[in-house]
Amino acid sequence: MRQARPYSAMFAGGVSARTGPHSLPLARIKKIMKRSAGENSGDGGGARMISGEAPVVFSKACELFIAELTRRAWAATLEGKRRTVHKEDVADAVQNTDLFDFLVDVVMAGDAAGRDDDNR
Amino acid sequence: MESGYPAGGATNGAGAAAADGNGGAQAAAGAAAPATIREQDRLMPIANVIRIMRRVLPVHAKISDDAKETIQECVSEYISFITGEANERCQREQRKTITAEDVLWAMSRLGFDDYVEPLSVYLHRYREFEGESRGVVGAPRGDHHHGHVGMMTSPMHKSSRAQPGSMVTHHDMQMHAAMYGGGAVPPLPQQQHPHPHHHHGFLMAPAHHGGYAPYEMYGGDQHGMAAYYGAGMYAPGGGGGGNNGADGSGSSGSGGTGTPQTVVNFEHQHPFGYK
Repeated sequence: MRQARPYSAMFAGGVSARTGPHSLPLARIKKIMKRSAGENSGDGGGARMISGEAPVVFSKACELFIAELTRRAWAATLEGKRRTVHKEDVADAVQNTDLFDFLVDVVMAGDAAGRDDDNR
Repeated sequence: MESGYPAGGATNGAGAAAADGNGGAQAAAGAAAPATIREQDRLMPIANVIRIMRRVLPVHAKISDDAKETIQECVSEYISFITGEANERCQREQRKTITAEDVLWAMSRLGFDDYVEPLSVYLHRYREFEGESRGVVGAPRGDHHHGHVGMMTSPMHKSSRAQPGSMVTHHDMQMHAAMYGGGAVPPLPQQQHPHPHHHHGFLMAPAHHGGYAPYEMYGGDQHGMAAYYGAGMYAPGGGGGGNNGADGSGSSGSGGTGTPQTVVNFEHQHPFGYK
């Protein structure tokens, strides 16, 4: 389905010789990590440390993740013969993918009442 | 295809997400001291998210605002989800620091095993790069001395060398074809037919380590990595079967270690291969 996109697409993302091609901010990733690590650790909550490489891995992982989720959402969009990806398409993608089960609460938040009753 | 724990991982994951008390990122913000967690700290920048989304969508596609925001939320949830699992592992093993390996391990555990391979490559390149630019080996493994050998052999890599690391961001089938040596491979590799002799770095790992493959593979398996750089970053199984010879350094290094059995065990669909 997907058309080949220009190679230039792979270079988009602010590659700088110094910092590497992280297209998502490492500091932000680290903050989010810290929070979820802190919440979980039974001992001195939030005391957990995070290696510098972990956010680096996440920066790429999130790209893959966003790409995958988007692609699946787009499939739902196409199914509905539309051209605009809506939240519902993302929700569809999540619901149709076991891998994304952990996102069910996120995508259902806010429209649990409306959409659930009507369309499901 | 998510060898091992497709359903199990998912349920497990749902449990973990629920357990850490932030079923949604929104809930987290609401519950945990709303004053201290600002919106911009809890979500990835929307512009970056949109850019990544656009990359995979056709040009004519539009994205509604609510879809953008939802994806943004999902990314945060994803990080929390994975981190939670990694964190638990650290606790079990009484370690204080969550490492990149823990993160990869957690992804593998939670069903994102398809990501592990490209991420390992990415991390490896990052380490290499860090090692070079700082004059210090960033990684304790000292695995900085071999990687680019394979890369140089392919003309395609000229451009990517100029911008290290960027190659991995790319998901296009065309690109895979190009990395295989161009032209020899059809643009859409047949994923159903993994070539038994396809020397895929990822598939090599179990043979070398006999351990937990997705997680250990980059832990110093030079041959495996060399195969990566030479034979394509995260080649879909089978797609590059005929091209092993194209890259001498990569394939020969690990040649013969990958048994057909291993290939079968770890055969997985290309993460980005679906429509």
